[in-house]
Amino acid sequence: MVVYSFYIFDRHAECIYKRRWLPRPASMVGSKSSRPTSEASAPGLPATLGQSARTTDDDAKLIFGTVFSLRNMARKLGGEDDNFVTYRTSQYKLHYYETPTNIKFVMLTDLKSPSMRVALQQIYINLYVEYVVKNPLSPAEHPGGIGVNNELFEESLEQFVTRVLS
Amino acid sequence: MAVFSLIIINKAGGLVYQREFQPGLRKLSTNDYLVLAGTFHGVHAITRSITPKLPLVATTTNPPIAPTTATTPTPNVTSPSSTSTPTPSSSSSTYTYPNPGIPATGLECLETDKFRLTCFQTLTGTKFLLFTEPTMVNIDVVMKKIYELYADFVMKNPFYQLEMPVRCESFDRNLQGWLRGRT
Repeated sequence: MVVYSFYIFDRHAECIYKRRWLPRPASMVGSKSSRPTSEASAPGLPATLGQSARTTDDDAKLIFGTVFSLRNMARKLGGEDDNFVTYRTSQYKLHYYETPTNIKFVMLTDLKSPSMRVALQQIYINLYVEYVVKNPLSPAEHPGGIGVNNELFEESLEQFVTRVLS
Repeated sequence: MAVFSLIIINKAGGLVYQREFQPGLRKLSTNDYLVLAGTFHGVHAITRSITPKLPLVATTTNPPIAPTTATTPTPNVTSPSSTSTPTPSSSSSTYTYPNPGIPATGLECLETDKFRLTCFQTLTGTKFLLFTEPTMVNIDVVMKKIYELYADFVMKNPFYQLEMPVRCESFDRNLQGWLRGRT
């Protein structure tokens, strides 16, 4: 399965962490050995990255709006204790997990992935709580992603996604 | 195997039909259903636009950088058969969708703890929202039958005005009868 992107929103509806994984092209299986072959595309790559960097902020806002609306819809129809878990389109799947403190974890994956509720819960318990909440230097709120963008959290998230999930 | 309710939304996002078949979901007021239909219509469009775009590597960026990188064409020349296949699909855009063969659609299936919402959008933009139990299987069959009944009893009704609320007794009756016969 493939993970496309991952977002964390705090209770003020602000995106405090976002991460996108560009899937490896099929030819680049051994990442380091094949680097010379991908050099040809290097001049073109900043253009696509720049374009995506411009839209990631907007993407995060759109995704928040979507999950917020769908969550409210699920609550309205299913009762207050109902939780929106996932939705899929013909192209991707979006997984959603909300903590009791209203921190929202969102992950976009491909269609073949199973339910990621447990995975998102693990990210919260084993990574977010351990490396962000328990960090004495991290503020209680994370405006602009301060405190979440620390090395340990990013590193372990990277490992979790690349090793555990794929 | 319970079908909770059916909602039909016209192509402008207006609620044209809402019916509950089995209890299980909370009842909303008519106004809330109208809001729900409009909200879903918007969210459906957004879910299509946030489809992940995968950047295409090396195939499309050749024209602007061709003069500067004179060495790059040589590996391409060695395998003309392999390079010829991706070019037609990626002639102008720099990205592709995860499933390039299928057009990007909006939300098709939503799951919560209590129910599953399946959305079917017709070619003309009408959306059928079916609320079922999360464990229900073969929703496609139910959806197809509902669309068939809609075509037969709503679209073929000479008094039905397009995009207006559906008030066709025979549609109600047949829908109810078919769903009851299924369970």
